[in-house]
Amino acid sequence: MLLSEQDQLLSYNGEVLVFQLSNPKPAEEADDKTMNLCVRRMAFNRDTKLFVQKSSGLLSMRASHSKIEMVCCSCTTDSRTGIILPCVLMKKKKRNNIKYFVLLLHSSNQFEQSFYFKLDYELKEDIRLFAGPSVLWRHTNKLFYISSNTCVVQSAPVQLSSVVWTGEIVGEGTVVLGIRTACLPETEDADGCSVSDRAIWGSEFFGYAIQTQKMLTGTCFMPHAYSRVVSSVHICKSERWKKQLRISLVAITHKKQLIWFQSGVPKGVCDLPYEKPCSVNPAVTSSNDLLFVVSFASGNSCVVQRRDCLQVASKWQKVKCVLVDDFIGSGSEQLLLLFKDDSNTDVLSTFKITDLGEVNYASGINYKHDVPAAEGLQENGLLTVRALETRLQAGWTSVRELQQHLGLQKRVILESCRALIDLVEERTHVLPNAKEEGLVSLWDDVENPPHSLSKETSLASEVPEHCTEELWQRVVGDSLVVGVKLTESFYLSLSDVSLSLVMDQDFSSISPIIKCQSKIIKLNKAFSSLAVSSSQIEPPPKKIKLDLHSKNDVRKEFPKRSSRIQLDGAKTVTAVTSLSPLLAFHRVCCVVLLHASKQNHQNESLQQSKKITVLCGKILLSLEDISNGRYSVKMLRDNSHCTGSVEDMLAVLAVSVRFSFQIVSSDCTLTRVSSWLQGEMECTPFEECQDNIFCHKAGDVHGTIFNWTLKNPFEGLLTIFCRNLTVLFQCLHSLTRVLPPSCRVKLLRSGSKAVLTEQLALALEKEMLTWKNSLFLKETKAENSLTWGNESGKKINNAPLASLLDTEEGVQQFRKNLQNEREESVRSMNQAINGALYQKMALKIAEAQLSSDMTVWRLS
Amino acid sequence: GEARQVRRQQRDEFGELLLRIRGLPAALPALPLELTVIYNSLLFTVRASDSAIKGEAEGIRQGLLRVLEACGACGQHLGTEELWQKVLQEVTVEELQAPLHRLGALQAAWWLAAGRLGSVAGLFELLSTAEEPGRSHCSEGQNKLLSLIKAWRVPPEGASLPLVQSAKDLKEILCTAAAFLQGLQELEAGNFPTALSLLQEAAGGFCSKKILAQIYTCLGCCAQRMGKPQTALQHLKRALQVDFQCLPALSHAAAVYHELGETDVELQALTLLYEALGKNPPAAASSSSCFPMRTELLVHTPVLTSLLRHQHPSEVKYLLAQRCLQDGRVADAVEHYLDFLSLLQEGLQQQVPLDGSSALPRIPEVFLEAASALEQAGRHQDAIAVCEEVIRRTADLVPRVLRVEERLEQPECSSPGAELAGGLLSQKKESLCCLAWRAAGYLHQGWAWAKLGESKEAVTQFSRCLSDLLRLQLHGSGVKPTENLQAEVEVLQKIRLLSLIGRGMQFLELGRHKEALLDFQHSLQISPGDPAAASYLVQTLWKLNRKQEAAAQWQKLSQSSPGEDGQQGRPLPLYLVLCLEQAMFPHSEPLARSIQDYLGTAAQDTSR
Repeated sequence: MLLSEQDQLLSYNGEVLVFQLSNPKPAEEADDKTMNLCVRRMAFNRDTKLFVQKSSGLLSMRASHSKIEMVCCSCTTDSRTGIILPCVLMKKKKRNNIKYFVLLLHSSNQFEQSFYFKLDYELKEDIRLFAGPSVLWRHTNKLFYISSNTCVVQSAPVQLSSVVWTGEIVGEGTVVLGIRTACLPETEDADGCSVSDRAIWGSEFFGYAIQTQKMLTGTCFMPHAYSRVVSSVHICKSERWKKQLRISLVAITHKKQLIWFQSGVPKGVCDLPYEKPCSVNPAVTSSNDLLFVVSFASGNSCVVQRRDCLQVASKWQKVKCVLVDDFIGSGSEQLLLLFKDDSNTDVLSTFKITDLGEVNYASGINYKHDVPAAEGLQENGLLTVRALETRLQAGWTSVRELQQHLGLQKRVILESCRALIDLVEERTHVLPNAKEEGLVSLWDDVENPPHSLSKETSLASEVPEHCTEELWQRVVGDSLVVGVKLTESFYLSLSDVSLSLVMDQDFSSISPIIKCQSKIIKLNKAFSSLAVSSSQIEPPPKKIKLDLHSKNDVRKEFPKRSSRIQLDGAKTVTAVTSLSPLLAFHRVCCVVLLHASKQNHQNESLQQSKKITVLCGKILLSLEDISNGRYSVKMLRDNSHCTGSVEDMLAVLAVSVRFSFQIVSSDCTLTRVSSWLQGEMECTPFEECQDNIFCHKAGDVHGTIFNWTLKNPFEGLLTIFCRNLTVLFQCLHSLTRVLPPSCRVKLLRSGSKAVLTEQLALALEKEMLTWKNSLFLKETKAENSLTWGNESGKKINNAPLASLLDTEEGVQQFRKNLQNEREESVRSMNQAINGALYQKMALKIAEAQLSSDMTVWRLS
Repeated sequence: GEARQVRRQQRDEFGELLLRIRGLPAALPALPLELTVIYNSLLFTVRASDSAIKGEAEGIRQGLLRVLEACGACGQHLGTEELWQKVLQEVTVEELQAPLHRLGALQAAWWLAAGRLGSVAGLFELLSTAEEPGRSHCSEGQNKLLSLIKAWRVPPEGASLPLVQSAKDLKEILCTAAAFLQGLQELEAGNFPTALSLLQEAAGGFCSKKILAQIYTCLGCCAQRMGKPQTALQHLKRALQVDFQCLPALSHAAAVYHELGETDVELQALTLLYEALGKNPPAAASSSSCFPMRTELLVHTPVLTSLLRHQHPSEVKYLLAQRCLQDGRVADAVEHYLDFLSLLQEGLQQQVPLDGSSALPRIPEVFLEAASALEQAGRHQDAIAVCEEVIRRTADLVPRVLRVEERLEQPECSSPGAELAGGLLSQKKESLCCLAWRAAGYLHQGWAWAKLGESKEAVTQFSRCLSDLLRLQLHGSGVKPTENLQAEVEVLQKIRLLSLIGRGMQFLELGRHKEALLDFQHSLQISPGDPAAASYLVQTLWKLNRKQEAAAQWQKLSQSSPGEDGQQGRPLPLYLVLCLEQAMFPHSEPLARSIQDYLGTAAQDTSR
């Protein structure tokens, strides 16, 4: 028994029905021929693993001068009994007259003709059999249907391009889901159908309930956007909830996708393996998985599984058809795959029954199975889970072991700590207050470098004349800025510099002194260059490390270091005061006074620094000048530079609030900051002072001055001079969007860290020297003290510490030296000192300590 | 751990979103969104995998095809480069420009990673001309690709479509990566000044600590090859300052110091390197969490891997030992060699990298060097033991007879047997090496016994050495061995020479002058004009009271010696250097004097 192309297969109650149309007497004349429609019920035998014929039926039809064909078959409800029966749509063509009739197959294998209808055209597109039995088809964009109840062909009042689904929907009866060209009512706003969708895709879904002859809105199925691509649909579930239709469905599209929609929203997508999917059917298998069987026009099939997400579970090629039913009688459904096979066309000889789980029956060896790996999916999964479990257990055990180990380590550490504490306590017990003295004497070997420093710098301070270079004034906003540029040498001899403005005229009623704020602004003229040194010149070999014990080096190095802090640019003292009160006088003349305390370095004591006041000059303010913009700040953008005098910039700096931020990136280089400054903030550097760059961006931030110095590629200091806090926050907000997320930005309270550190080092040094000097004051020294002081220094100089401590003898010798020194210092401490001197000493020490404490506070 | 999980989830969700979007027909109003989703999705993919980018970005291609689909064009058959050209030239929709440009930057990243610099340049040319035609870039002397990338104007970021990583970021990363990659290419090609400037450009760009350290390391290597060791050191120091985990910088620094001849510093550097290698590097914390796209994902060329090869602790240990030995720091050398040998004990596979780029010589040579160091340190018994190990291990590896024939001399390349001959050759070479090691083992043992005063034992060992060497049969004495095997044969000859001299000396010691004479004559046959052998020959003749012959030999020696003093040809293996020193003739001064006296009296005799 061979299976031909025209034969139809249907699964029904776990059996496979094979419908075959045959001509029993081919030799006879065409006039009197009969056609037999034969049905055979095939059931799967689990023992032999083969399909066997259970029963068969036959219907003979007279077919004189006509051609009889099977159109399609399906299982539909017989409306008289409510029983689902197999049903076949037959076609009998006689010249131009075509008669269609629907046959029902009863369990007794008897065929019954339910109804017939005649048409003058052939049914071709979207033919469906459904409950009734009824037949539905599409012809020239129109939808027709006929049922056994009416036996009259009816047409639905819609123009449509295709039918994607027909079936029952709760409360609506039989519904046809189709696609039609979008017909747009002019005023459409509701129903979630967006205008853009229609504009783009031009077609839409519609539902048509056949019994009630009413249109359903298409949006509860799928967005209209999909109407161009969907080729077939299966509705999984439909329910009414608060009178709203809620539908869950899967659709297959020309875009090689299977999409699952819930209430019109796509919930899952899965790419299909082949082109042109044409139908989708569900199957519920034993593992309670919902499977979707997708058939393709090319004869391929695949199964999509829905677990966490949609995924292709298996695929086959050269499939004749896929039937879904409980063929093995297990209580859940399986897939029956029948393969196209040229060599062996015996019906149901090459097949495969599977539920992608435990059930797997296959016949023959000729079937094509594309993905052998997927076959053992379940099995592999099980093995993997087992392996993973074992691994988990092993991991758990090792974690436990690690924890135990950690506990052990902790105990060991605790023990060691205790031992250490004991040890330490014991030692302090043995050696009380010995350390302190040892430390003091160890410091002695430093050769008074501060003396040399003070000598050099004090020379300059001998010149009191030409202390100021320039006096200027600017108006910035509501403030008046007066600036005095100091000569470098003069500045170095001063401390606590400030300016004050005193009115020249005598207004009896008000105080002549104008309240103002003084600031000292330093400008670095040098370019900051972090860049890698020019590649063309080979640098000389690295210098030998500085040996702290050799005197010459200390002397050489010291003035250099101090000069780097202080001698690096012009200093200007500015005074800022509110302009408007002054303008009340219309025309006012002010005297500018510079106050400072002049240090006398030769005698380190602070009492001897004297306060000085220097007259710098006079300034004249008139409303007229200000209106003419004579004193206003002019900053213009000139290509890549900012033109403007140094005074202009100083004035802006003087009125601005200054904030320094240390920006540290843990991982990435900080090139972003400069690109941000130059790009987003539209900054350009000043011609005279390249370090400071001026923001030209329109808006609040205009006029802000930035200073960006990189310490290394990962750390830099951004100083912002801004008008007010709002501007600051704007800048920071913009900056944070640019910085890499791993960056840390820290506000520095005052000064840069490097400068402060250096200051701290100097302060500490000073403190130390103060201590040392007061201990060895000439007045307190015995005549021989000077000599032994130097001697002890020499001893240590002669033998570098590290090498001494290498050997036991070395350590012994070192210990001996230390002992000697200690004794000596004890001796020197015991010397008497007079009260006044002691007071002075105490004051100086306190001052030195105060200054280093201050620096520490500013650093923290 | 958890972060990884999250990243994977993000990637999957973006993939799903993209899948949904692609389920619909392409439409112009939706394309900016779609292209942005592609952009983000690709970045999430990069972030989830967190490994170097390879292959093609299929997503970009699909996106371009969708753009064409929306415009009613088709480009399925086009290559990706042509596709870009078509899209950028034909699609002029304003809204699509920004997302397309961003996608272009991503495409450039993928191409950079694949080393397709030409494609990148072409793409950026397209991107720039699409923006403003007729603008000429690429000023003189600047790198074309870099200036193209820099000339690209980053599309402004819209507020509505957020990006995982801004296009500005991408541009900076592309700049750094392009400079770095090209620098590496130039470095490989030997154009050092160009490489230097490109690498410096890269060092000034946006990158992570790790990459910056790598760039500095490459700069260091470049400077070193340019003959600027100090600059190289500066760069290498910077690399270590930036990221101390960049240990290759340290080993390069050691190499530079070696070049400069600063052995102290070199040894310090190697010691430090060894220590650092022993420590586990701290887990790279947040490096990967910052950005999906990073420079390190784009730069992975073989040059870089070879420049940044992490040395194995055992290699460093060996280098330390070797350098100490070469420099005459015998005690340190012994220490290091013993450390190295104990490292070997722990397991060869784990301790020694077996790839070709290793700095290690063959293990028996290390043993012999160790023996040499032990001998110099006066630990003769230990040296003997170490040599015994070598001898024992090579016992089965040396064939009874080892013929080096003329046939191997010219392996015909075209003949089908060439491959076979090549295999045969390497096998022969291996056997020669084994023979050399075994013989050298005996040689060292002989010298060690000699040092211990056990002359008889020493003679035994030297004889063993010589009899082993007899296994080598040179095909025709006059014929030079094949080019491929020459080095091995030369070493073997040297060993034979040293062994003969050694045995001769021991015979002298034992008073067996005639046998000694025979050995020295032999050694002179092997290496005519060898000063040590000749001197010993003179001395032996003298002792045998064959004064005239001695004087004649001495005259011959003193005439030829100054010219042939220097070592010609290949340098000896390190393990033979000590033996060579030991074989030097120690008493040349007194011998010369006595011979001169003799000659003087003889001259007087004749004149009289």
